[in-house]
Amino acid sequence: MKRLNVVALLSLLLVVLGACGAESATPTTAPTTASTTAPVAGKIDLGGREVSIAVENLYPPFNYINPQTGKGEGWDYDAWAAICAELNCKPVFKETSWEGMIQAVGNGQFDAAADGITITPERAEQVAFSDGYIQISQRLLVRNDETRFTSMDEFAKTEFRLGTQTGTSNYETAKGLLDEARIQGFETFPFAVAALINGDVDAVIMDETAGQGYVGNNSDQLKLVGDPIKSDQLGFIFPKNSDLVEPVNAALKALRENGKLAELEKKYFGPDFKLPE
Amino acid sequence: MAADLPPSTSLQPPTNKRLDWRTIPWWLVAIGLIIAFMGFRIISDPEYTRIFETILTGLGTTLMVTGVSFICALILGLVLGLGRVSRNLILRNLSIGYIEFIRGVPILVLIFTISFAIVPALSNGIGLNASNISLTARAIIALVLIYAAYIAEIFRAGIESISRGQMEAARSLGMTHGQAMRYVILPQAFRNVLPALGNDLIAILKDSSLVSVLGVREITQVSRLSVSSSFKYEETYFILTAFYLTMTLVLSLLLQWLQRKMSSNVH
Repeated sequence: MKRLNVVALLSLLLVVLGACGAESATPTTAPTTASTTAPVAGKIDLGGREVSIAVENLYPPFNYINPQTGKGEGWDYDAWAAICAELNCKPVFKETSWEGMIQAVGNGQFDAAADGITITPERAEQVAFSDGYIQISQRLLVRNDETRFTSMDEFAKTEFRLGTQTGTSNYETAKGLLDEARIQGFETFPFAVAALINGDVDAVIMDETAGQGYVGNNSDQLKLVGDPIKSDQLGFIFPKNSDLVEPVNAALKALRENGKLAELEKKYFGPDFKLPE
Repeated sequence: MAADLPPSTSLQPPTNKRLDWRTIPWWLVAIGLIIAFMGFRIISDPEYTRIFETILTGLGTTLMVTGVSFICALILGLVLGLGRVSRNLILRNLSIGYIEFIRGVPILVLIFTISFAIVPALSNGIGLNASNISLTARAIIALVLIYAAYIAEIFRAGIESISRGQMEAARSLGMTHGQAMRYVILPQAFRNVLPALGNDLIAILKDSSLVSVLGVREITQVSRLSVSSSFKYEETYFILTAFYLTMTLVLSLLLQWLQRKMSSNVH
């Protein structure tokens, strides 16, 4: 009898676990209403299909949570709304951590990911990239009163600590420039910036677009210094052999031509951009 | 107190010369085989070798964080445990309050709270610059503050497991309460709580992986850094798992051996 009970309990546990596993992540945001007009002839039509897009919601100005509404917003949200308006699809944003995001898209867990992802050959082995949608430079973010160094070259000669986010191209760049023992890898960039303000690290290496977002909100505390360290293209990622790569590239091209991308760039990457507080 | 007990009453399990298949710890054999298999992969496959060597660079930090945290937590835990059973109202309530506070919050949350809120606030309060306290130090402080509470509860249980008669006997011999605690109660309690303390050492070793969120380069963080550019998830996490499994298994076998040794020469 005892043994039977154990078996029953175990199978119950398995059923419960299975049920838990079957529950999938709920979309974090309602997508901004895509245009419902029928697509123009000659355009690619995805027939209103849903596209699940992984975002971190921790990488301003690309994606972040607006504290007033509790909803995600940012360049990625607006860009995908525009892309889907072109292609007649429905963007569904899924919040996921940066760690494992590339792997998850590679495994087909999401249709795409948008997180200011640098196009690198190593990553291209795991996932398919869209065309680059913006060229960004990496810069050094420092505290406003920093006078001990004014560029990456000078910083490399010191013994100061550098913060950045684990698993980013910024981390890889830093590794190539200085001793890894001096680099602090954080879970997310907001962590790294908080550590900079706290004085745990003396500089943070990050993409200029993101850095400007932080400076815009904390111009009394932070500034960007030195020349651009390295210039990269950012792209969206898809599972390999995804049928979305071509349509999205076509949409990006159209949006570049009609000025929509330039408009979004001005809105999010310009000097006027400020995070909602 | 009987030093010359006949051997038949010794507490050691009877040594059975013939191996019975039912008494073999099969789970141990299975885990041993898994570790051995991983060891073989590490030796034979250059990719595994490379990842193993990468993870090895964090082992020193893992052991250091675990060891330092455990020793400091033991000391603070003993103080808290004594406070917990103290007859002084204020001391007792302070200790209980602290212990319940810590035990009521998840460890990961406490690591964030202590590192990013409590340590900076305290250090600024006493006029120190928080930025001089490295994140590794904060991680250790967090683990010490957390585990001291858990260890205090172990000490409390150990002290309460010693019969009241022991205290009364010591007091009637003219010892003060403090002396009785020090010379009679604590030595006996300490032996009773050794297994539980050993379990907490293993728990600290496992929880030291949580401080990777602070960017401390222990084996978990090193693995995460490595995997984020290599994408060798399978190899990296299998090796990392084997690392922890080997360490915890060695520790728990060591503890079992220590327990047997201690219980076989009861004075």
